[in-house]
Amino acid sequence: MREYVTDDIIYALATPWAQSALAVIRVSGEGCKALLATRFSRPKSLKEAGNATLVHGYLQDEAGKKIDEVVAAVYTEGHGYTLEEALEFSCHGSLAVIKEILSLFSQLGMRSAEGGEFTFRAFLHGRLDLTQAEAVQELVVSQSERSRALALGRLEGSLKERISSLKQQLMQIMAAVEVQLDYAEDELDEFVFPRTQLVDLIAQLHHLSETYQVGKLYKSGARIVLAGSTNAGKSSLFNLLLKQERSIVSPINGTTRDYIEADLSIEGIPIRLYDTAGLRESSDSVEREGIKRTERLIGQADLVVFLVDSTLMGHVPEEDERTLVVYNKSDLAKPPKGKLAISAQSGEGVDRLLHEISTRLTSGFSVSADELLIIESERQYQLLNASEEALGRALALVDEDIPLDITAVELGEALDNLGQLTGEVTPSDILETIFSGFCVGK
Amino acid sequence: MDYDAIVVGGGHAGIEASLALSRIGFKTLLITQNLDAIGRLSCNPAIGGLSKGNIVREVDALGGEMAHLIDHSMIQYRILNRRRGPAVQAPRAQADKFTYARLAKETLESEHNLSLFMDTVVDFLLDPTGKRLTGVITERQHTISANVVVLTTGTFMEGKIFIGEYDAPNGRLDEPSAIGLGTNLRKKGFPVGRLKTGTPARVRKSSLDFDKMEVQDGEELMMPFSFDYDSINRPQVPCYITWTNEKTHAIIRDNIHRSPLYGGKIVGTGPRYCPSIEDKVVRFPDRNRHQIFVEPEGIGTEEMYLNGISSSLPEDVQWDFVHSIEGLEHAQIMRPAYAVEYDFINPQALYPSLESKLVENLFIAGQTNGTSGYEEAACQGLMAGINAAQKLKGEPPLVLSRNEAYTGVLIDDLVTMGTKEPYRMFTSRAEYRLNLRHDSCDQRLTEKGFRVGLQSEESLSRLRQKLEKMETVKDLLRQRKLADKSAIQALKMPEVTMASLQESIPELSGFEEPIKYQVELDVKYEGYINRQERQINRFEKLESLHISQDFDYDALDGLSTEGKEKLKLVRPISVGQASRISGVRNSDIALLIVHLDRGGHRER
Ligand SMILES: Cc1cc2nc3c(=O)[nH]c(=O)nc-3n(C[C@H](O)[C@H](O)[C@H](O)COP(=O)(O)OP(=O)(O)OC[C@H]3O[C@@H](n4cnc5c(N)ncnc54)[C@H](O)[C@@H]3O)c2cc1C
Ligand SMILES: Nc1nc2c(ncn2[C@@H]2O[C@H](COP(=O)(O)OP(=O)(O)OP(=O)(O)O)[C@@H](O)[C@H]2O)c(=O)[nH]1
Ligand SMILES: [Mg+2]
Repeated sequence: MREYVTDDIIYALATPWAQSALAVIRVSGEGCKALLATRFSRPKSLKEAGNATLVHGYLQDEAGKKIDEVVAAVYTEGHGYTLEEALEFSCHGSLAVIKEILSLFSQLGMRSAEGGEFTFRAFLHGRLDLTQAEAVQELVVSQSERSRALALGRLEGSLKERISSLKQQLMQIMAAVEVQLDYAEDELDEFVFPRTQLVDLIAQLHHLSETYQVGKLYKSGARIVLAGSTNAGKSSLFNLLLKQERSIVSPINGTTRDYIEADLSIEGIPIRLYDTAGLRESSDSVEREGIKRTERLIGQADLVVFLVDSTLMGHVPEEDERTLVVYNKSDLAKPPKGKLAISAQSGEGVDRLLHEISTRLTSGFSVSADELLIIESERQYQLLNASEEALGRALALVDEDIPLDITAVELGEALDNLGQLTGEVTPSDILETIFSGFCVGK
Repeated sequence: MDYDAIVVGGGHAGIEASLALSRIGFKTLLITQNLDAIGRLSCNPAIGGLSKGNIVREVDALGGEMAHLIDHSMIQYRILNRRRGPAVQAPRAQADKFTYARLAKETLESEHNLSLFMDTVVDFLLDPTGKRLTGVITERQHTISANVVVLTTGTFMEGKIFIGEYDAPNGRLDEPSAIGLGTNLRKKGFPVGRLKTGTPARVRKSSLDFDKMEVQDGEELMMPFSFDYDSINRPQVPCYITWTNEKTHAIIRDNIHRSPLYGGKIVGTGPRYCPSIEDKVVRFPDRNRHQIFVEPEGIGTEEMYLNGISSSLPEDVQWDFVHSIEGLEHAQIMRPAYAVEYDFINPQALYPSLESKLVENLFIAGQTNGTSGYEEAACQGLMAGINAAQKLKGEPPLVLSRNEAYTGVLIDDLVTMGTKEPYRMFTSRAEYRLNLRHDSCDQRLTEKGFRVGLQSEESLSRLRQKLEKMETVKDLLRQRKLADKSAIQALKMPEVTMASLQESIPELSGFEEPIKYQVELDVKYEGYINRQERQINRFEKLESLHISQDFDYDALDGLSTEGKEKLKLVRPISVGQASRISGVRNSDIALLIVHLDRGGHRER
């Protein structure tokens, strides 16, 4: 029933879950300004911002690393849609960025909103007047019916079965623990915590929640930006990958002025590929604007493929999760040893490049796209994650030999989260499992 | 009016109800079938246990009697589940049955506001509207009027016992059941149903071979259940453990058709958590033995209770299977095992105050509400007594929350969900069991007991002293350093105990055990309790959204059909309670909140 309380901070992506130029993420609840100021590049400005003002800055992670440049629209209590203290962040519409921001919010202890919850809060706080009451009643019913349908109905077929099976396994562990708590030691057989089962369950949960990110990737795809200095061969590679002469190739530095985009698929992942203006100091205002756009695209990319001209070398950026450095023109000069090298002219090394791109995009996920089960909604993902985390804490407690009544708190939290996906688990359900599985009672 | 209040039934519920009413100051009459059976322990000779021990202490903190009775009749004391963690530890004591019942009757007799009368209530008197109770009619045709009545019939309302092919209209072996009331309640429209429970045989001590059994001693140090004193000193006697075997099971299996349960004679539902031995054998065929605790029924008696093998099989079968058990080969069975079936009233027909929704001024408590167990009965009796008194005073009822007492969990479960089998308390029924520790019941409840007029100034000041002493101990622990950390930080580690700290901080020995025990638990659990705080705040928010009793659910468009039906049946007092009714949907709750808000029940 946690969705009917208004004392916590909720958030939701207000724009569709898709790659786009701009995304809006809404946050509502008392204290949200102060909480988010701790992850904002200009904490004071955000904290002190008055109603209906815009604050520009960066969202950053705990370590202070910038996640994205955003504009926050600020509403103080009594204003805005929900009439609660609220923020609306406009950020870049790259899936990677959205994902990172949402997970930042969740780490801060904010809660992913239920369908209709912003409206529900707006209504509770008297945002809508009496004449609108009936309409909203309908909305509340249909919205929460829908979110219920989303929670239950959306889990169809094998996915529903899979989650029910996870819940079942957890209930077995829970029952094994609860029976120890509800019957005296001397009435029961020697107790050994079902550790193997717990470890196994955590792995299964982890596996399932990872399908969410992978699922996202295969569904909504990724943005890849080809970047590098002028004449590095970006346009040549672009054409090669698209198998058509889309971009003008010439030996003149600065041929490409504005970016060109095109869709293709790399090992099953839908890709939007950008050919960009080469980076260099320039006095030409048109070229300067092109370079600015390139920089913006780089900021929004899921992956940047940085081409280096092996005959000139020049500036070579640092490799990181989002940057792949590739040495071009391998037919003309020997690239540094052990580095990824291609020739955009002969096509040499391009297969390896494609594979590397797909590996990079799916890195960290242990599941493959062939798997049928895919978590689709952010809500499902969050709940699975929360469940997995609680079980992780339970496991740690077991290993430290902490008394069972504490461990049971964590197991209960895990079960509560799973229960929100497939229907609540009540104490009677647990007792039922105990009585059917254990011979107890004097 | 002859009396302010009448309490029907002198069992564990009736004792608490009548003491509460008379102590608060109302002229009260207790009518019970047999004065010699007051406070009788029908089944096992023990009080307390997991979650039940907590309930006893809750009753005590509120100003009830049960803890005093067991403190002065116990013959063995143990803290259960020490290794499982403080939140689920609880005291349990073996009772001398005879002393327990005698003390109960003496306590009732010493109340000057309380009269005792031996008779059986067979019907109620209602006012002309038929919606208000005004008194009772007894078997011997006495008509006695009162402003409030508390009904606690235990296993006696239309009770019937079974031993194999034999049955008899009894509430306990050879005690006549209360005939007539159940029928009259049905006529008046009360939702009456049947439940069943059972008890094992009692055997003669001198006929048992204890050499073949394991001895189970109590703890060296007895700690009182009551918060009113710090120590008790009573004799301790051991219990014994033995096991059934394949031969026992074969005898039971061969004769299962002679059980009234399996033969279909018993229609009432029995408790799954406390199955008869025939149930265990049938349902768990893989197990080759079941444990039996052999417990003394008292000091001045040879009767021993065979905990674990309750049964309704015929006596010749009982005879055979008991003798197949190690140590019991020559056991003399003094009383047979039997099952009892009785009327109960669906508790969903009650308000959380335990007052009937059907008939005003009638409060119902104990086994009549579908529970089983002495402690479960006692806490309801106490709450019914307190709330009947509140009603007489024209004050709002005392309703305990799920996060302050197992008693609150129990009553909320009953009135919200009803029950299909005899309801027993389990720690897992409570969402916030870390908060319901037995040692801190006084902190949560004593003041409430004081406010309704049951607890004394003296108990309050004892509580204050206790809190002060606990603070002193905590300060001491904060000041002392052990290696690199303060003693209080050290105590958070699982392997450090108060006892081990005492070696380096000898001053600790100057404090009473209960004080040190509680500080230890407070310190060890602090982190987890804080974590639950936020959840509890949310929970309380929904609990505090009140719904008035005449709320018109029919007028609320958009409620689901099932939700509406259930809400009308239960008539929850808060949105929190409504959210726990099975069949009520999230959307129904959302609508309710929205509607209540519109009605101005919520200020902003
Ligand atoms: C055979 C048997 C097996 C049991 N097994 C278990 C078990 O396995 N586990 C467990 O936890 N508990 C068990 N108990 C239950 C336990 O004894 C009860 O839960 C507890 O005693 C209930 O207390 P009470 O006050 O509600 O009723 P009781 O203790 O039954 O007291 C009711 C009293 O009211 C009197 N009375 C009833 N009706 C009337 C009337 N109309 N007029 C006047 N007086 C009336 C009766 O004579 C009796 O004295 C068992 C009880 C029996 C009899
Ligand atoms: N030999 C050889 N020549 C290449 C290769 N890749 C590109 N070239 C040549 O390098 C020149 C520049 O190529 P482009 O593809 O236009 O380079 P670009 O990076 O798009 O340059 P700008 O648009 O100006 O930033 C052209 O003459 C290409 O034919 C390669 O792998 N080998
Ligand atoms: Mg180009």
